Amino acid sequence: MGAVCRSRSTMVLTGKRSEKGPACWKRRVKSEYMRLRQLKRFRRADEVKSMFNTNRQKIMDRTDVLNQEWKTRRIQNILSAYQTLYVSPLRPQCTVDSGFSEFPKQVIPLKTLNAVASVPVMYSWSPLQQNFMVEDETVLHNIPYMGDEILDQDGTFIEELIKNYDGKVHGDRGERRPEALVTSSYTRACRRAGCCSRNHSSSNDSSKKFPSDKIFEAISAMFPDKGSTEELKEKYKELTEPQLPGALPPECTPNIDGPNARSVQREQSLHSFHTLFCRRCFKYDCFLHPFHATPNTYKRKNMESLVDNKPCGSDCYMHLVQAEEVKSPSKRPAAARRRGRPSSRPGSPSVSSETKDTDSDGEEGTSRSPTPVTLKLTCEPEPVDWSGAEASLFRVLIGTYYDNYCAIARLIGTKTCRQVYEFRVKESSIIARAPTEDEDEDTPPRKKRKKHRLWATHCRKIQLKKDGSSNHVYNYQPCDHPRQPCDSSCPCVTAQNFCEKFCQCSSECQNRFPGCRCKAQCNTKQCPCYLAVRECDPDLCLTCGAAEHWDSKNVSCKNCSIQRGAKKHLLLAPSDVAGWGIFIKEPVHKNEFISEYCGEIISQDEADRRGKVYDKYMCSFLFNLNNDFVVDATRKGNKIRFANHSVNPNCYAKVMMVNGDHRIGIFAKRAIQTGEELFFDYRYSQADALKYVGIERELEMA
Amino acid sequence: VTMSGGSCKANGAVYPASSAGMNSVKKPKMEQIQADHELFLQAFEKPTQIYRYLRTRNLIAPIFLHRTLTFMSHRNIRTNAKRKTFQVDDLLQRVQLYHHNLTISACFLTEKPSQNSENEQTSVSLEVLLVKVCHKKRKDVSCPVKQVPTGKKQVPLNPDSNQTKLAPYPSLLVSSSEFEPSNSHMVKSYSLLFRVSLAGRREANGLVNGEANENIDVTETPSRKKRSSSHREEDGSTETYVAQMTVFDKNRRLQLLDGEYEVSMQGMEDSPVSKKRATWETILDGKRLPPFETFSQGPTLQFTLRWTGDAGAKSTAPVAKPLSTRNSDGSSPMETRTSHHRAAPLAVKDSLSMDIQTRRELVQCEPRQKLRIFYQFLYNNNTRQQTEARDDLHCPWCTLNCRRLYSLLKHLKLSHSRFIFNYVPHPKGARIDVSINECYDGSYVGNPQDIHSQPGFAFSRNGPVKRTAVTHILVCRPKRTKPSLSEFLESEDGELEQQRTYVSGHNRLYFHSDSCMPLRPQEMEEDSEDERDPEWLREKTATQLEEFTDVNEGEKEVMKLWNLHVMQKGFIADNQMNQASMVFVETCGPFIARRNLCRNFLLHLVSMHDFNLVSLATIDRAMARLRGIQEELGPDVEPLEPLEHTLETAASCNGTIGASGGGSKLGKRTKCGMND
Repeated sequence: MGAVCRSRSTMVLTGKRSEKGPACWKRRVKSEYMRLRQLKRFRRADEVKSMFNTNRQKIMDRTDVLNQEWKTRRIQNILSAYQTLYVSPLRPQCTVDSGFSEFPKQVIPLKTLNAVASVPVMYSWSPLQQNFMVEDETVLHNIPYMGDEILDQDGTFIEELIKNYDGKVHGDRGERRPEALVTSSYTRACRRAGCCSRNHSSSNDSSKKFPSDKIFEAISAMFPDKGSTEELKEKYKELTEPQLPGALPPECTPNIDGPNARSVQREQSLHSFHTLFCRRCFKYDCFLHPFHATPNTYKRKNMESLVDNKPCGSDCYMHLVQAEEVKSPSKRPAAARRRGRPSSRPGSPSVSSETKDTDSDGEEGTSRSPTPVTLKLTCEPEPVDWSGAEASLFRVLIGTYYDNYCAIARLIGTKTCRQVYEFRVKESSIIARAPTEDEDEDTPPRKKRKKHRLWATHCRKIQLKKDGSSNHVYNYQPCDHPRQPCDSSCPCVTAQNFCEKFCQCSSECQNRFPGCRCKAQCNTKQCPCYLAVRECDPDLCLTCGAAEHWDSKNVSCKNCSIQRGAKKHLLLAPSDVAGWGIFIKEPVHKNEFISEYCGEIISQDEADRRGKVYDKYMCSFLFNLNNDFVVDATRKGNKIRFANHSVNPNCYAKVMMVNGDHRIGIFAKRAIQTGEELFFDYRYSQADALKYVGIERELEMA
Repeated sequence: VTMSGGSCKANGAVYPASSAGMNSVKKPKMEQIQADHELFLQAFEKPTQIYRYLRTRNLIAPIFLHRTLTFMSHRNIRTNAKRKTFQVDDLLQRVQLYHHNLTISACFLTEKPSQNSENEQTSVSLEVLLVKVCHKKRKDVSCPVKQVPTGKKQVPLNPDSNQTKLAPYPSLLVSSSEFEPSNSHMVKSYSLLFRVSLAGRREANGLVNGEANENIDVTETPSRKKRSSSHREEDGSTETYVAQMTVFDKNRRLQLLDGEYEVSMQGMEDSPVSKKRATWETILDGKRLPPFETFSQGPTLQFTLRWTGDAGAKSTAPVAKPLSTRNSDGSSPMETRTSHHRAAPLAVKDSLSMDIQTRRELVQCEPRQKLRIFYQFLYNNNTRQQTEARDDLHCPWCTLNCRRLYSLLKHLKLSHSRFIFNYVPHPKGARIDVSINECYDGSYVGNPQDIHSQPGFAFSRNGPVKRTAVTHILVCRPKRTKPSLSEFLESEDGELEQQRTYVSGHNRLYFHSDSCMPLRPQEMEEDSEDERDPEWLREKTATQLEEFTDVNEGEKEVMKLWNLHVMQKGFIADNQMNQASMVFVETCGPFIARRNLCRNFLLHLVSMHDFNLVSLATIDRAMARLRGIQEELGPDVEPLEPLEHTLETAASCNGTIGASGGGSKLGKRTKCGMND
C-alpha cells in the first residue's frame, strides 16, 4: 500500500512539472487508472477478508454452543472407567517394566478401541423442499478436480469443458473479464481522472465543473476500444449527474409510508407489487417462475358489491349525494348506478391511459377537470390537504372500490368519506370509467351443454392426449393472447398442455382442464386428474377433498401429496449398494407417495454442460423433467437424491403436472418395510434420462 | 455305536485335476497347469479357509447342532416318542432314585475256570466302596475324592452255572443316605469301586497260562504280566482286582440301572482310574483288542444290581437300556454290558431301541449304494473347471457326514453360501457344480445395537438412553416344500431367491444429512426436512429482493415479510389466500405497525385483489385488524431497527459481493428487467 501511495505522489509531481502535453495526460490517465484498479483490488480483498472474519465468527459461535453442550454431557474418562470397572487379572493388560527396582512396574488394562468405519464421501449440498430455477451459467464457475489420475488419462477434458463456456472461467482477470466490470471501473477511472485534472490543472479549465477535453482525449487514446472522446464525455455526464444525495432511479416509486411519498398514479403505486408477484407461487420474485404475468389482464370472476346502502355516519357523503339525487334524478351518481346492477361489472380495474402525470405538489390547484363532471356538490368542499401518500392511496383504492367512498375513507384512515368524495369529484377526469360488460369477451366461452356430455368429451380428450404424445412433454407457460380463443396458435395447445387457472384465457376456455369430481381417493384411472398424470387442483377439484384440511395430513384425496409435501420421513446411512443410501423410517403401502425429487431446474443445454462434469465424477443427480428442463439435485436438493439405482427397485418416479408445474414424485412400487433402502430405476421411461446417468448405472450393476 | 467305526476314515479319493476344453485334449504344458491351478486357488482359497476355520470353531464351541436341523433329522438319534407318555410323576421317580438303596449281589469269575484244579478256592472277598468325587473348592488343587466303604462280603468264585440259578449270591447294600447331598462337599459324581481280593493262587496262573499257549498270541501278553504279579504273590501277598463304575455322572444322570452286569476287572498294579485309558478301545499293552475280548480274557465280576425302595415298595427304577443309548460320554474306563450272554451283546428288547435300530439300518443303506459325488469347480468367470470326487456324503469343507444326498446339498447350500451349488444328476451318483457366489451378503444380521452403537457416546450416559427400534423374528415357520433334489437344479431364469431378513427395522446407524454426524436414537423422530423454509432459502429470498434498485424499501419489507410467511406456511391454493392474509396480519401485524408499513401492506392487499386472490371483504377485515393492532401498541412506539440491517448482515455472509462490487445498495436487478 505504501509503495502505491509513493508512486502516485511522484506521478503528481511529474505531472505538475512537465508541460501539459498530451503525453503527460496520457501518462496521468494511465497511472490514475492503475491506481483505481489497485484500489478496487484492495477494497475487494478487504471485503473478502471481512466476510471471512464474519463467517469465522459464525462458526466460532456455533462451536461454542456445541462445546457448551458437550460440557453438560459429563463424559467419563475411558481410562478411569476401565480402571474402576475392570480390574481383573484375566483381562489383557499392558505392563511397562523399567528394569530398575526403584521404579515400580506400571500396569494398565489393555482395551482395544475398534476402528470406526469411515462414511462415504459427500459433497456439500443445500436442502430444498421445492424446485429452484436457475439460469444457465455463462462462465465455468470452477475447474473440477477429480484426482490426478483422471486428468492424466484425459488431458483434453478440462479444455473441452472450458470450450463449452466459450473459454470463460469465473474469476479470470485480464481480457476475459466480463465487459461490465471493465466499463464500470474504466468510467470511474474517467471520473477520477477528471477530478485530478480539476485539482491540479485548474489553469486551463474551461469550466470549474467539467473536465477539459484533453483528459477525454487522453483517455480515448489510452483505451481506444472504449469509444471516441465525445462518447466518453456523454458517459461522464451520465455518470456524474445522478450523484445527488438520496436520489433514486427515476423508475422507483418513493415509499408510500415514507416522508418522500409522492402523489402518483395507481399503476405506479402498484407497479412493484404487480410485476414481482408470482401468481403461481403467491410469492414476490419467486424462485421457480422467471416470468410473472401482471394482473391487469386478469379477469374478475367474482365481483363483490360491497357498497352499503346505508350511510356510514351522520357526516356521510351519501347525505349530500342523496340530496343531490332528489334535486336532479336524471343525473344519478355512479354509486346509485352501481346499485342498480351490482353483479355485472367484471371488467378490469385499469386506469384510463390518457391521464397525465400530476405534479407532486398541490393537487388541489392543479387538478384539471375540463371534462363533464357527473357529480355535483351541494355545498362547498372542505378545504383539506391531501398528502402525496393519501392521494396515491386514493387512486389505488378507487380502482378497486370504485365509488364506495366510505370504504375508501376507512382504508385511508386519515380522511372522511366526504373528503374522499369531494376529492373524487375533483379527480373525476382521471378516474377510470366504470368498466363495461363487453370487455370480458376475450375468449368465446364454450357452449352450454349438459354437464355429463361435457365430461365425456373431456375424458376422451385426455385419453387422446395420452395415446398421441407420450414422448414429448413440454413445460407449461400460461398463455396470454387477448381476444383470441385458445386454438392452434395458443402455446398451451401447441405444447399439448391444458390451459391452467394461470392462463389469461377465459375460465370457459375449451382447453382448460376441468378438474375432477371424484368422491373417492383419486388413486385410480377413474379420476380424470390421475389419468392425465396431474395432481388434483385444489381450486378445481372441490369434491375429492384436495381443497380441504389444510393443516392435517388426513386428506381423503390421495392425489395431492406432492403439492402438500406429504413426504415420508427418510433417513440417511451408508448404502448397502454404493455410497450413501436413503432409508425409510416407517413402512409404506404400494403406490404411496414417498418424496418429491427436488433440485435446481436447469435448461436442457445447461444439463448437457453439467452432465459432462458429472459423468466424469461418475455421480449424477440429473433427472429429466420435460422437454425443456432438467432437475439437478447436485447443488440443491432433498434427501431422496441419495436413492440409488436398481433394476429391481422398490420405488418408481413419476413426473406429474402439479398446479401448472411439472414435478417429480417418488412413489412406492411395492409395500416397503421399516428401514428398507429405497431404490428406483434411473432409466425411468424417458430414453434421454439415460445419457446422464449411464456411467453410474453400469458401475452399480457390476 | 458303529457310527464311530470305519466310516470315520477319510475316504475322499481325490481325482487328478482335469481342466476342461482343449487343454485336456492336447497335452498341456506344465506352466499352463500351474497357472490354471493358480487361478483355481485364487477363486476358492479364501472362502475355503473361512469355512475351514468355521468348522473348527463349530467343533469347539458349537452355536447350533446339525442334528437339530430339519434336513439333518436322521442325525438325531433321540426321539421325542417319550414325550407322549411323559407324566410329571416320572420326574418324581427320578428324584426318588436317590432314596433307593442299591443292592448288589455278585460272583467273581476268573479267566478260565478250570474244572480239574484242586484245592480250589470257592470264594473271594469283595469289597465295595462308594467313591464320591466332589466339586473342587477354591483351595483344592484337584477334585477331592472320598471313598466310603459300604461293606465286604465273600462272594463265590467261578460258581457252577447250575448253582447260580439255585442260590442267590451274597448281596451288599449301599444305603440311600450315601447318595444324599448332605455332606459339606458338593458331590459331583458317584461311582462304585469294586475290589476283589484273591488269596493264595500259586499254581493256578501258571497252569492257566500254559494252557492258553495254544491261543492266539494276544493272550500271551497278559499272561506275562500276570506272571510278574504271581511273582509278587510268592512273596505272600494276596492278589487284588479292581473295577470302577459310575453310578451318577457329573450331570447327576443315573448310569447304573437295574440289571445284570459283568465287569472286567484289572489287577491292582494298573491304576483303576486312568484318564489316559479313557478310550473306546480296550488296549492291552499297546494293542487294541476287539471290544468284548476282555471279557473272555481277564477276570470279571458278575453282579446283579437292583435299586430297592424303602418299605419294600415295588421297584420303580428304570430298567437298563441297551448299551448304545447311554455310554456317549465314555468316561468309564472299561466295557460294561447289560447282558449276561456274551454272544449277544446288543440284546434288543423294547420297541424303542428297535426303532432306532431300523433307522440306523436305513441310514446305512445309502452309503452302501456307493454314491460318487463329483464336485465340479467353476472359476475364471466360470469358463474353467476342475473336478474332484468323493465316495461318501461328507461335506468337503466341514467334513460333516450328511449321510444323504439331499441333506448334503441342503447343507452345502445353507452353510456354505459363499459358493453356489448346482446339482446335476450323474449315472454314478451326482455332480455338484461349485462356483463363487458373487452376490454373497456377508453383512451382519445379528443385533444391530452390537455393532452400531453410537461412537463417542459409550461412556457418556447420564441415565437411560433411547435405542432405535428393531424387530427380531424369533419364530418363523415358513411353508416347507417336500424335500426334493430338484430344488438344487440350476434354475432356468436365474432369479435370485428372495432372502427374508430376520432382523428388520432400523438395523443400521443413520447420519444427519447436513453434517454427516451419527444420528442418535433420540434424534430419530425429528425430520430435517420438516421445515419447508431452510434458513438459507429465507436469506436468499431477502437478498434477492434487496437486489432490486427500483423497488423502494417499504415495498421490499412487506414483500419479504409476505414471502417468509408464504414459505413457512406453504400455501398452494388460490382459495387459501383470504385466510393466509388474515393469518399474516395476526403474525406480522405488530411488526408492520411498528415499522410503519401499513400503506404498503394495503398496497399488497390491493395487488392481491387485482390478481383475484383475495376478496374486498378480506382487505377490509385485514386492515381493520391492523388498525386494532396499531391501537393496542399505542401511539408512541419507537420504530424498530430496519429489517434490512439484520438481513443485510446475513446476506453479506453469503457472498453477495457480486461483480458489481457495490453491495446491496447498488443492486444489479430491476423489476422492469424481469418481464423482458
